[in-house]
Amino acid sequence: MGNRRAALVAVCLAGALATGSARAAEPLARRQAGIEVKNGQVTISVGLQDLFGPAERQHLASGFATRVLIRAAVQDESTGEPIALAVQRVEIVYDIWDERFEVRATRGLGAEQRAVVATADEAIWRATVLVDFPLVDARRLQPDGRYVVALRGDLNPISEDLLVEVRRWLVQPARGERRLGAGDSFFGSFVSIFVNPRIEDSERQVRFVSQPFAPGRPTPPLTPPPTPVPTLPPPRSKIGGVPR
Amino acid sequence: MIARAGARALAVAMALGAALGSRAAATELAADEPAGAAGADPGEPAEAETAVHQDAAPFPDERFGPRYVIDEIVIRGNRKTAKSLILGELAALGLSPGASVDASDPRVEAARYRLLALGFFLDVRLSLTRGAQRGGAILAVEVDERGTLVINELFPATSQATLFWGGADVSETNFLGRGINLGAGFVASTKPVVPDAHAGVGLRLRVGVPPLGGPNGLSLSLTGLYNDGSEFYRAAGDDGDPAPDDFVATRVRRAGGLLTVGKMLPAGLHASIGLREEEITSTLPPLEARVLPNGGVSRIDFMINGGASRVGTVSASLDLDTRSDPILPRDGMRIALSVEAGDDLLGSSYGYVKGVLDASFYRKLPRGHALGFHVFAGAIGGYAPYFDRFFVGDLNLLLPRRALGINFSTQPSPNLFNTDIAHHRYDNYAGRLLVEYAVPIWRHRGLVYGGDAFVAVGLLGMASDGDFSGPGPVSLSTLPIDVTGDLGLRLDTYVGVFTISVANALSRASF
Repeated sequence: MGNRRAALVAVCLAGALATGSARAAEPLARRQAGIEVKNGQVTISVGLQDLFGPAERQHLASGFATRVLIRAAVQDESTGEPIALAVQRVEIVYDIWDERFEVRATRGLGAEQRAVVATADEAIWRATVLVDFPLVDARRLQPDGRYVVALRGDLNPISEDLLVEVRRWLVQPARGERRLGAGDSFFGSFVSIFVNPRIEDSERQVRFVSQPFAPGRPTPPLTPPPTPVPTLPPPRSKIGGVPR
Repeated sequence: MIARAGARALAVAMALGAALGSRAAATELAADEPAGAAGADPGEPAEAETAVHQDAAPFPDERFGPRYVIDEIVIRGNRKTAKSLILGELAALGLSPGASVDASDPRVEAARYRLLALGFFLDVRLSLTRGAQRGGAILAVEVDERGTLVINELFPATSQATLFWGGADVSETNFLGRGINLGAGFVASTKPVVPDAHAGVGLRLRVGVPPLGGPNGLSLSLTGLYNDGSEFYRAAGDDGDPAPDDFVATRVRRAGGLLTVGKMLPAGLHASIGLREEEITSTLPPLEARVLPNGGVSRIDFMINGGASRVGTVSASLDLDTRSDPILPRDGMRIALSVEAGDDLLGSSYGYVKGVLDASFYRKLPRGHALGFHVFAGAIGGYAPYFDRFFVGDLNLLLPRRALGINFSTQPSPNLFNTDIAHHRYDNYAGRLLVEYAVPIWRHRGLVYGGDAFVAVGLLGMASDGDFSGPGPVSLSTLPIDVTGDLGLRLDTYVGVFTISVANALSRASF
């Protein structure tokens, strides 16, 4: 009887583990990108504008900063081995009095670049569209090798310092009460904390991989999405203005 | 600086590879990077999270965009939650009328997550609109409230002595919209088959009010308890035999309450003091002697006064928690230290002092794996009622734990070392050391936030005064120790935290 029960438990655990492994292997979506070699650098041109949904677009005019982090990794297609990583960080703020967007960006360890734009579309374009974005020195890649670029965009990623604070609040909310079930019965309890909020890495993410490319035979360059035509500043009612 | 940046870039590269499904080792990449950078591991989901947070660090010049003076704070969407509760959380970060705030002020993001961490809201948004004059702004906080009824624990189980016991512990964490935590727990059982036993009922009612004077003030909680149940004492048979017929039962009613005052201190430290008062009514069985296997007879120690008695104690506790995650920790520690004393000055019929140390330490390993060390040590001096002593079922993962303080099982410790442990059920001294190894299975996939497969193994020991004063030398067989352990999955999901494990199954169906 005992052996049968133990076997049942083992089978259930094995099934659960197998399910987990299967889920972990889900492939990423593929997105066409323009990949070229320019001035000895492998570059990519691709857009991640879908990082902004309608709600995020509306919140862009909140008066507080919106941050976009894009990370692009060159990987060996067959092994998935990472070769290099490039990072772009962008911050957008809306001036509620001057009704304009201020944008600043850095690529890797490069210098900070700033711009002032009139519309949310322009600000999003500057934050999410990579044009000839340098990835890696072409000499680091095998000319006949096949590679892909894995991209991940994060909207308002949470910083490490804040993450430490947030985790402390989750363990022990600021109200001073110990959250039940969070360790008091770490072993032995079957279930605790129904409806369990989770603080994610960022508010929204976009992940995909490019088509495969070979440095010796670059893919035809894609025409990057056009820069939005500047428009008049949004009316006050669209940015959450309070009637006065 | 450059080396540090390179190391970070490498970690990010590896982590991104992991996040995107990479299976590869990063040895070639490591060769191009500065020394010291190769410690990161590409298959480590936890590192992927870290990498996002590292690259999410603010720009060198944190200030960007205009600065405003807050004219007014407007709260929207709080149909249930009191405005003062939200304003208090903002004020704790210095966001109040008259204060300055930058467009890129990190306090704004911190305020959002601080409010989310209360558990009352699905989402929180902060925004600015023009104030009365140029440079002034109205800070709007828009909240999306969520249900705040949570199930903390479920107690379904069965044993050879009790066909079924079950119940739940439920809390409303935002009662009346004022952040009041109102909780209730109950457990009920069928009548145990132990002679003279009664069906068990346990109730808990508790209320915790938000800290007085703001988030850093004193928090108060009051718990009322009522238990009516039986405890089992061996009257015949071998120590390793759980047959209910070999036991006799007391009937013990407990009614009382616990008042606790707590305060958050810096660096993740929480301190509290408590006052507990209980009225006890116990009925002892007619048979007060045990027939020993060798034919001898010994008196049964029921560890409770017959008739009416009282328990009155004061307690103090310190709790340090630096774990990286409350459910699936990868590093940090949690150390809880408590002392409780009962004395006739508090009206107690039982004079004792009880000290408990419960600590867990976590260490991150490559590939997102983690090693945990769990230490439990406790000692009681004096005469404590049985329900305040250390119970074998609370220490051994393979046995049923007490539900709301009531035991429903006669199962002894499995006694894998063939020691004296089967004789021990309630004791004044207890210790346990567990080593746990956890392997990540899921991370950030839909409604399952994360999951670990884990294996834990350890030793436990129990004793009381006089256990080692008998004739003969002390040897392994006379040491009341045993092996315990567990193997299973721990899942952190949207609907709760689930543990599916061998020990859980065995402890809930212990025959």
